Amino acid sequence: MPEILLNGRPVQARGDQTVLQVALENGVFVPYFCWHPQLSVVGNCRMCLVEVEGRGLDIACNMPVSAGMKVLTDSDDVKAHRKAILQFITLNHPVDCGICDKAGECTLQDYHYAYNGEKSLSVDDKVRSTKFYNLSNRILLDNERCILCLRCTRFTHEVSKSMALGVERRGDVSNIRPVEDRPLGEDPYSDNIIDLCPVGALLSRQFLHKSRVWYLTPTPSVCPGCERGCTIRIWHRKPEWFVKSLDPRQNTAIARITPLENPAVNGPWICNKGRDLARIFERVRAEAPMLKGRPVPLAEALDAARRLIGAARHPVALVSSWGSNEELEAFKRYLGEVFRGHVKRDWLPEEGERIEDDLLIRPDKNPNTARARELFDEGEPAYHDGTDLVLVWGEGYDFARIPPQARVIFLNAYLQPENGHAEVFLPISIQTERAGHYTNFQGTVSAFEPCFPKAAAVTDAETLFRALAAPARGHP
Amino acid sequence: MPGRQLIMSFPVTATSHSLDEYRARGGYGALEKALRTMTPAEVTKEVTASGLQGRGGAAFEVGRKWQVVVYDDGQPHYLIANADEGEPGTFKDRWILENNPHVLLESMLISSYALGVRNCFVYIRGEFDLPYRRLAGAVEEAYAAGYFGERILGTDFCCDIVVYRGAGAYVAGEASGLIASLEGKKGYPRNRPPRLTVKGLYQRPTVVNNVESLSNVAWIIAHGAAAFKEIGTPKSPGTRLFSVSGHVNRPGVYEVELGYPWMKFLEEDCGGVRDGRAIKCVVPGGVSSKVLTGAEIRDLPLSHEALWDAGSTLGSGGMIVIAEGTCMVTLSQILMRFYHHESCGQCTPCRHGMGWLHRIMDRIVAGQGRPEDIERLYYISKFNDGTTICGLGDAAGYAISGILDKFRGEFEYYIEHKRSRFQGNLECPRSS
Amino acid sequence: MRHLIPEFEKLRERFPAGFESSMVLPCVRRIQEDRGYVADEDISQLAAYLGVPQIQIEEVLSFYTMFRRRPVGRWQLQFCHNVSCSMNGAERVLEHVQKKLGIRPGETTPDGRFTLSTAECLGSCGTAPMMMVNEGYHEDLTIAKIDELLEGLK
Repeated sequence: MPEILLNGRPVQARGDQTVLQVALENGVFVPYFCWHPQLSVVGNCRMCLVEVEGRGLDIACNMPVSAGMKVLTDSDDVKAHRKAILQFITLNHPVDCGICDKAGECTLQDYHYAYNGEKSLSVDDKVRSTKFYNLSNRILLDNERCILCLRCTRFTHEVSKSMALGVERRGDVSNIRPVEDRPLGEDPYSDNIIDLCPVGALLSRQFLHKSRVWYLTPTPSVCPGCERGCTIRIWHRKPEWFVKSLDPRQNTAIARITPLENPAVNGPWICNKGRDLARIFERVRAEAPMLKGRPVPLAEALDAARRLIGAARHPVALVSSWGSNEELEAFKRYLGEVFRGHVKRDWLPEEGERIEDDLLIRPDKNPNTARARELFDEGEPAYHDGTDLVLVWGEGYDFARIPPQARVIFLNAYLQPENGHAEVFLPISIQTERAGHYTNFQGTVSAFEPCFPKAAAVTDAETLFRALAAPARGHP
Repeated sequence: MPGRQLIMSFPVTATSHSLDEYRARGGYGALEKALRTMTPAEVTKEVTASGLQGRGGAAFEVGRKWQVVVYDDGQPHYLIANADEGEPGTFKDRWILENNPHVLLESMLISSYALGVRNCFVYIRGEFDLPYRRLAGAVEEAYAAGYFGERILGTDFCCDIVVYRGAGAYVAGEASGLIASLEGKKGYPRNRPPRLTVKGLYQRPTVVNNVESLSNVAWIIAHGAAAFKEIGTPKSPGTRLFSVSGHVNRPGVYEVELGYPWMKFLEEDCGGVRDGRAIKCVVPGGVSSKVLTGAEIRDLPLSHEALWDAGSTLGSGGMIVIAEGTCMVTLSQILMRFYHHESCGQCTPCRHGMGWLHRIMDRIVAGQGRPEDIERLYYISKFNDGTTICGLGDAAGYAISGILDKFRGEFEYYIEHKRSRFQGNLECPRSS
Repeated sequence: MRHLIPEFEKLRERFPAGFESSMVLPCVRRIQEDRGYVADEDISQLAAYLGVPQIQIEEVLSFYTMFRRRPVGRWQLQFCHNVSCSMNGAERVLEHVQKKLGIRPGETTPDGRFTLSTAECLGSCGTAPMMMVNEGYHEDLTIAKIDELLEGLK
């Protein structure tokens, strides 16, 4: 365990570490663009230059520790060099922060103010390059802003292995470019390069110009796209930045989704499906309890349901694998004696969706099958002529499988045709409207928090299960 | 003749490069001696004892580089002769490839034997045509004579060689850029650590030596380190090939015994400066070395230590003689254009700095220079010095700051008067 | 490029095992020699044959100055205009050729005969000024020499 001196302070290092790693672990920040803990070291940005007594300046990200070395991360020489490196980076940088989505979370902005703060020393024209280039239908590339840290190309070579990106030409006319006939669009992890990019060279097209990042707040959540359960951040408007819009839904929309770093589950990545959750969560919602398609007040619907439950001889339930741990446990607690519960996989893989790989994607496209299986039976219910009540919780069940004589109680969040076919229909909340936990396929439990209020007529499933367990009015 | 000749020691004819004539000169005798009477460690020891310095640019001792390779570490080792010769002003490795290719091949065989190398390579710049054909022809001859392949000269030593052609990139002459290129990729240099002698070609221990550096090995083994050290100076043993060009009457490649007086060499062997002009300055070792004025070189010998003391370097041995009446500002523009064109673009200071240097020089030459431009040129040079992945950024800095140090007045004049003091002239009339 | 595969197989044997990636440069050079330039389908076919990522070949094609993805004239004239050549009249010689052929560096004559370009140091400084005509070096150029040379290039 070599000991080194970091700005005069002795710290313990591991023999296989670099000076940058040791510094960061010991609370000494050394700025960097191109280094990333999950990617190979390229040492091209030169921002992490530090001074070593007797050796001058060199990059810290590629510098092995050696016992007794004396490292200075803030000497005058280091400061002068950082300033110069930033002068070079911004030499040809368009500095179009005014129209760049990265503003507010841009490493170059942050470092400029922290380490340079001066205008360019150049009076010559900047080198121009391609802007607004559709790298794929999801990602926009701006080669003028690009600082050629090569995080994006390394990601596609080392992590997602799509080999989709490279560098064309050389010198200050080098550009990031996609491989010609296999578009980046086929890489289900492509959007991670948007997070990786330290500047605004790679931007999400679905987020483009939607909002300034400081208008948004990130809420921790869990992606329901598969049983990996990657932790994510759902970004949405801060209340003080609500737009005075005619449509209130502008302020309760998902602005974007990014990974929430999680060493136990997904590291710093998520797949593109996790970025697109708005297309799942923001489908039209069911907002009214119904009896056979006729909207009724909740109390009336609950009462009807309780009567059905009370009268049923062979009740069967299809339990949602999108139910949270809390909801599943509540179902078990309140209705588990009454209903024989069967795990329902609400979502199956869609056409063209990757089934499985050795990175993140898992074949079961539901977030909580693991917990559901612990509490309920696997497999299709054994229907028979006596089956008289089927409770379907969550979407994705083919109602044609329900025996014709059975009554149906349906709990669902989204506006779907089946809602009107059920004897009793109860609209429920979705993950973004409540707190809860999912258990992933490895048994890891992750938490999600609410982002949005739920509509007045929508109830948490947990509350409904308790309510349904109470005896019906007029019954003992 | 500027001292003793080791490599250019014979008259060049239409056939003097052939295997037969090389053998007639004693060629492949050193290989016999090494394979039959010396162990690999003894060969390395001899090369180290000779003090042979690299002749590609850095003058790093060859033996010191070799010693990092652990002979029996159980993994493949590679030896690569750097024949990418792209440093402007340099064309001396070309002479060896065209006129004495077998001295390189024999030396590479001896070196491979010493380093435990089974597969060696010559990386030759893609534009070279006759040098490539001569070298390829020599390789064929050597294979046919059993000097390459299995069980060479009846010993256990086996060695194969591949001549690998570059494709047009000065930066692929940098050892790690060369290796990246030889791996079939773009010629991006790599950070050290790890040293190439630890992890080089395909992450294996690799020795990259200049063609001329390697070509000395045969003589050293044939005659011994002690004999080599008697040639040249104590700090610069042996000879060096200099490619002389610019405004001299007799440009060409000359082998000079190190320590030989510089002016004597220029006046007697190179025929002096054309048109009877005085020397304005000399680029001693390729444009990446700092220029020295005519006055500064007057009493200097051609040796590493003399040039280091004078603040320059023998570098690649590419000597460009510049006569009075040459506009150093226009010349600098060409240099900055060159580095800009050749920067690989990986690292920040060089990628942006080279273009910046070039654009400033374009502006000055176009009569739009500003007083602060000179300080900018120095600034860019300073922050490319020791901050980059490879030496290209540093080299551009040395080139421009070296010229500014000696000829600042010319730049100030051009900026103030918006024209060259010498009408932008770069030429010198040929003596009739 | 498939008709070149037998040649490439022979070349593969010269390299140690596991050096397939190294074959990119020599194969590309041979393809270009054969076709005159590297076509789009050559890239994907070569990538498949060598088992390297296609992007690697695309990068190589744009990084090195000697590779091209478009055809050039029958005679490619490349003039060095670096230091020693410029000190020995390269600019004058180049200007003469520009006037004579009516094209600028980067252009091709309308009849497809000549393509003109400039180059950085080609390692011929002692015999400056010089040019490459396709693969060959032509050194110690004078106006007269060039005129005679161009005359003979049909």
